[in-house]
Amino acid sequence: MSTQAMEPETKIEIRNLYKIFGPDPQRALRAVRDDGLGKPELLEQTGHVLGLEDINVDVKAGEITVIMGLSGSGKSTLIRHVNRLIDPTAGEIIFEGRDILDCSAEELRKIRREQMSMVFQKFALLPHKTVAENAALALEVRGFPRSEYIPEAEKWLERVGLQGYGESYPHQLSGGMQQRVGIARALTSNADIMLMDEAYSALDPLIRTDMQDLLLELQQELQKTILFITHDLDEALKLADHLVILKDGRIVQQDEPQTILLEPSDPYIVDFVSDINRARVLRVRTVMDKTPPTDGMNIAGEIDQEDNLESVISMAEGDTRKTYLVKDGEKRVGILRMETLIKSLVPTEASDEGSRVR
Amino acid sequence: MATYEPVFSALGLESWCASGAEAATGPTSLADLIARNTGTDAPAPSIWELPFPSMDELHEACASFPQSRALTKGLENAFLDVKDGLSLVLDPLTQPLSWFLEGALWLFQSTPWWIMIPVLLAIVMLVSRSKQLVVFVAVCLLALAFIDYYSYAAQTLAVIFVCAMLCVMLGVPIGIAMSRSDTLQRAMIPVLDMLQTLPAFVYLIPLIFLFSVTEPKLYGIAIILYAIVPVVRLTDLGIRLVDKDVIEAADAFGMTDRQKLLKVQIPLALPNIMAGVNQTIMMSLSMVVIASLVSAPGLGVLVLRGIRNLELGVGLVSGLGIVILAVILDRTTKLALARINAGQSQ
Repeated sequence: MSTQAMEPETKIEIRNLYKIFGPDPQRALRAVRDDGLGKPELLEQTGHVLGLEDINVDVKAGEITVIMGLSGSGKSTLIRHVNRLIDPTAGEIIFEGRDILDCSAEELRKIRREQMSMVFQKFALLPHKTVAENAALALEVRGFPRSEYIPEAEKWLERVGLQGYGESYPHQLSGGMQQRVGIARALTSNADIMLMDEAYSALDPLIRTDMQDLLLELQQELQKTILFITHDLDEALKLADHLVILKDGRIVQQDEPQTILLEPSDPYIVDFVSDINRARVLRVRTVMDKTPPTDGMNIAGEIDQEDNLESVISMAEGDTRKTYLVKDGEKRVGILRMETLIKSLVPTEASDEGSRVR
Repeated sequence: MATYEPVFSALGLESWCASGAEAATGPTSLADLIARNTGTDAPAPSIWELPFPSMDELHEACASFPQSRALTKGLENAFLDVKDGLSLVLDPLTQPLSWFLEGALWLFQSTPWWIMIPVLLAIVMLVSRSKQLVVFVAVCLLALAFIDYYSYAAQTLAVIFVCAMLCVMLGVPIGIAMSRSDTLQRAMIPVLDMLQTLPAFVYLIPLIFLFSVTEPKLYGIAIILYAIVPVVRLTDLGIRLVDKDVIEAADAFGMTDRQKLLKVQIPLALPNIMAGVNQTIMMSLSMVVIASLVSAPGLGVLVLRGIRNLELGVGLVSGLGIVILAVILDRTTKLALARINAGQSQ
C-alpha cells in the first residue's frame, strides 16, 4: 500500500465544504458558521438539514481513500460533490489545480467523461442494453464508434471475470455479476479517478469479499485514485490507504486505518473499532520494536513489515514465545515478539456512553 | 312580487331596475304564462319555499338583472365573434390534416383487397411476431370482406391510422416536455382532464362552427383531441418513472441532455409510451364512430344508419365490425408492448 517513500501528490482537495438542504441554505449556512449550530439544532430552529459541515479531505493519487459512516452521515452526499452531481452550499473542490465548482457545464461534462468514473450501489445499469454496451457507456457517450468501444469493453469485462457475458442483458446476471459490469464500465472509461458509492453494500458477504479482493488486485495493477464509500468498517479497513470517518455530516477522524484503530480520537470511533478483527488490520511495522536483534535472541523467522498480524500468528502457529526479525525489503528494521503482538490485539474498551446504541 | 325585490330596494337600486323594466323585451317564461292564465298571484312565500337567488330569480325581482340564458347566449356570441379570426389562423394550420386523411382514405380504398389484406397481415406479423394473431386477423378481415363490409372497415382503419399516428407525433413530444417541466405539467393536466372528460359530442359543436362539415379535418381534429390524452399522460409518466439511479449514472458519465433523452429516458419509458399508444388507438376507434355524425367515413356511418332508420341488423353487424377492429388493433399493439417489456424486464 503506501510504501512509497515519497508522499503521493494530492489529486482532489476538498476544502471547507458545506452542504445544507432546505429552502434558504445560505441563511442556514450563516447560522452554522457564526452561531455554531449543530445538525439537530439547525433542523429544529430553521428546518434546514445540515448535510455536510466543514469537510476537508485530501484524496491522494493512486490511493484508496475510504469514507466511512453510518446511513445519514452524509457520505453519499459527499462523493456526489466530487463530480458535482450535487452542488455544495459553500467550499471548494480543487481538482488538478482548479475548482470544479468554477467549471462550465461543458468542462464539467468533459471531466465526467474522461477523468472521473463512478460505480453505484444499485448498479444503475441500462436494462435495455447488453452487458458489453453497458460497460462501453463512457466511450459511447464520448462518440467512439461501436467497432472500437465494444472490443475495449470486452477487454475490461474479461478483466473483471465476465468473459463471454458481453451479449447478455443485465437482468440475466446475478447482483455480484451486475456490479462487476458496473466496475468494468468505470474501468472502460479509462478515467484516473473512480468514485465508488457503497459499491458493495448491496451484495452478500461472500461476494463482497470477492469483489474487495478484485478491487485490490486491480488497484495494484492500475493505480487509480479511488474514493470509496462504505458503512462497513471491516470493508473500510481492508481497502483504505486513508480512512475518513464521517458522523452527522462532519469528519470525526481521518488517518491511516491502523492509526485510527490504535488511537481512536472519539468515543464514537472507539465503539466502532471495539469489535474489529485487529489482527487483520494491524501491520507488523506499527507494533514492532525498532531495536536490532540481540545475540541471545531466538529468531524464529523473517517477516515483512507490511505483513498483517494475522499472517504472523498463523506463521507462529499461535506460539507466543517466538520472536521474528522484521525486514523492509532487504533491510532489517526491527524485531517483533509474539508477546508484544498479543498485547496490541487487546481492544480499546468501548466507551461507557455506548454511543453505538442509537 | 318577486322574493328578492326587497333586497334590491334595500340596496337602493330601484331606479336601475326600473330602467330595465322599461326596456324589458325578454321572452315570457312558462311560469309567467301559467300565473297570468290562472289569474292567481303567487301565494305568500314561506321560508320552506325560499328560492335560490339564481340569475333568473333575481331577474324577476329586478328587470335589469341578466337572465341565465344571457350567459349561454353571450358565450355563443363571443365564440361567433372570434370565430372568423380563429378559423383564419386554424384553417391553413390544419389543412395538412385534411390532405393526410384524404390521402390515406384514397390509399386504403384504391389499393385492391388482394394487396391490402396481405400487407396488413405482414404489418401485424412484423409488430407482434405471433402467427396465431396473424391467423386470427386474417380470419376477421376475410369475414368482414365476405359480408361486404371491407371498404367501410378500410375507411375506418385509414382514419385511425392517420389520427393515431398524428397523436403519437404530437403527444410524445408534449409528454416529454411535460416530464421536464413541473410548471408545464401543472398547466397541462387540467387541459388533459378536460379533453378526456368532456362529452365527446361537445367537441363537435365548436368545430362545426369553425370548419366546414365537408372537410375531413373536422372529424380529424375531433378524434385527435379526444385520443391524444393517454399518449401524452403516459409519456410524461413513463419518463418521470425512469429509475433515478440510472439517470444519475447517465449524468456521472457525462451524457448531454439529448443523449440522456434518446439513450436512456425514451428507451426506458417505452413500455409506458406503448401502453399510451395502445390506449390512443382504442380511443380514436371509439371517436371515429361518433365522428361519423360530422361525415367521418367508415363503419360509424353504418352504425348511424342503423340508429337513424332503425335498421337493427345493419347497426348490429357494423357494431360487431367495430368490435373486431378494436380487438385486432388492441391485440397487435399489446403484443408489441409485451415484446418491449420482455426486452427490458429486470
